[in-house]
Amino acid sequence: MGRLLALWQKEWIALSRDVHGLAGLFVMPAAFIVVMTLALSDELRAGGGRGAEFAVLPADGGAQLAARLASEGFRAVEPPASEAAAREGVRRGQPALVLVVAPGTPPSFRLLADPALPAIQLAAFQQRVLGVVLADSLGFDLNSAASFEVEVVGNPRGGRPSSVQQNVPAWLIFGMFFVVMPISSLFIVERRDGTLARLVSQKVPFSLLLLGRIGPYCVVNLAQAALMLLAGVTLVPWLGGETLALPARGDLLAAVALSTSLAAIAWGLLVAVCARTMEQATVIGGVGNILAAAIGGIMVPRFVMAQSMQTLADASPMAWALDGFHAVMLRQGGAADIAAPCLKLLALAAALLGAALWVHHRRRA
Amino acid sequence: MGLSVAGLSFRYPGSAEPALDAMSLDIPEGGVFGLLGPNGAGKTTLISVLAGQLRGKRDEMRGSVRVEGSVGLVPQEHAFYPMLTCLENLRFFGAVQGLGGAELRLRVDAVAAFGRIEGVLARRAGQLSGGLKRRLNLAIGLLTEPEVLLLDEPTVGVDPQSRAFLLESIRSLARPGRTIVYTSHYMEEVQAICDRVAIIDAGRVLISGTLDELLQNSGEPPPPPRRQRNLEQLFMQLTSRSLRD
Repeated sequence: MGRLLALWQKEWIALSRDVHGLAGLFVMPAAFIVVMTLALSDELRAGGGRGAEFAVLPADGGAQLAARLASEGFRAVEPPASEAAAREGVRRGQPALVLVVAPGTPPSFRLLADPALPAIQLAAFQQRVLGVVLADSLGFDLNSAASFEVEVVGNPRGGRPSSVQQNVPAWLIFGMFFVVMPISSLFIVERRDGTLARLVSQKVPFSLLLLGRIGPYCVVNLAQAALMLLAGVTLVPWLGGETLALPARGDLLAAVALSTSLAAIAWGLLVAVCARTMEQATVIGGVGNILAAAIGGIMVPRFVMAQSMQTLADASPMAWALDGFHAVMLRQGGAADIAAPCLKLLALAAALLGAALWVHHRRRA
Repeated sequence: MGLSVAGLSFRYPGSAEPALDAMSLDIPEGGVFGLLGPNGAGKTTLISVLAGQLRGKRDEMRGSVRVEGSVGLVPQEHAFYPMLTCLENLRFFGAVQGLGGAELRLRVDAVAAFGRIEGVLARRAGQLSGGLKRRLNLAIGLLTEPEVLLLDEPTVGVDPQSRAFLLESIRSLARPGRTIVYTSHYMEEVQAICDRVAIIDAGRVLISGTLDELLQNSGEPPPPPRRQRNLEQLFMQLTSRSLRD
């Protein structure tokens, strides 16, 4: 343990003194978050700028209410056949809202809402329901209604995020994976200068040398996550964009960030072991990251991709990470919702670390 | 104690020529053993095998290697972290070798004093002069008081003062129970500090023995002072004048 702590301390000191490299890990994703969030704010507003779709149940009694609720921002669609069908529809984000009117005296109202719907849009629809019902004599007297509750129907994969919901986690993930650069460059310098050979001759296991990098870079990645989320909450709205709503479950967010971090660090270690020069590391690591980002819905949201590309996106670790972040941030999902993406990322991290060890031993042999 | 290799062959993957070609060499315990050879002779490969850095598959490495005692390596590169201070480097290399607490502090103080780098412990290693870097490199290799010290061209790129200091320091390290293997291109260094010498070329040992034995076997009359120039003449005679790289 003492040796591992010494390795962590060394790596941390070396990293903290590479001010420019470290700054790049924070400035680059922050810049992308601001620029892309603002650039796509109109395109991704309220589900692609089309306005939210809603329906009213039951169909026979609610048609008139639906017509009154329809406006520029809310488009009425055919109501589902049943509440179960409505629930399933909202789970997929189609429609985003279903107002279920339970007949009775007085009637009760339940609004099934897609959690991907921006909070402000949900509040606006609630106000619209209240206004229409109170203003009209449609037979529904909300003052005397037994209840009016809002139920958010969870769905970790469906729906469309807003610009800030898409871009903050997306570019955060992109930034986290860019630890490949400092990891590989420090490692290549160690190998070039004979430091690695010296450590090997001192009987320091290579696996310990790899583990010695994980701790410090996890701290860096988690700091990136905290600061990028903070940018979504403060910087983006300050520049005119939408405010990022943080999830209630910070622990789940940390779990997704940690899984992403381990996968990113393991990728960096594999590149470090495989690349013989800085130039190779830059090309393999940089191009690999950009390709994974392009495929994985970081640069272009997956929901605007062609179906074949959406299928291909599932192969990108960055897409897995984005799924995890969206499950928590967008859908307020639970541990079960992040289990699959986190497990995939952790399995990838283990596989990449194994590959790094294998390549090293093969070369050393 | 001591080191020996017997029938040792090593070939780097993808290389047609072996770096070590059925090499056999005994390095007795104690004293300074000089390993001489032109570029590409196999000196660094032999040091790397002795240090446990190089292993080989069955078709790449044959023969036996015996190294008794703890090993300290001082590579020819500045094998430390330039962004860390000298003190941080010493503490790190001590800690990864299992030193800690008061023992680590004592050893760091001792090797810093030995290398006369106490005055620059707070400076970043990358900002040191060439001579100070060499001294730090040597100090790191001495942290655990190894019984076998492998020095791979430890005086490359330093001024005459630093070289003289390093040579005196290395000579002072020799004691019973400690074996020092010293590779160099500089004949006068080897003549000055080594008790025994081997000249190798193309992965083979051409000649090995004490300096006196080597110079007597060269067949040349020993002009006074006997150790000046003769080793270089012997070296050129054995390895020929052709350029190696």
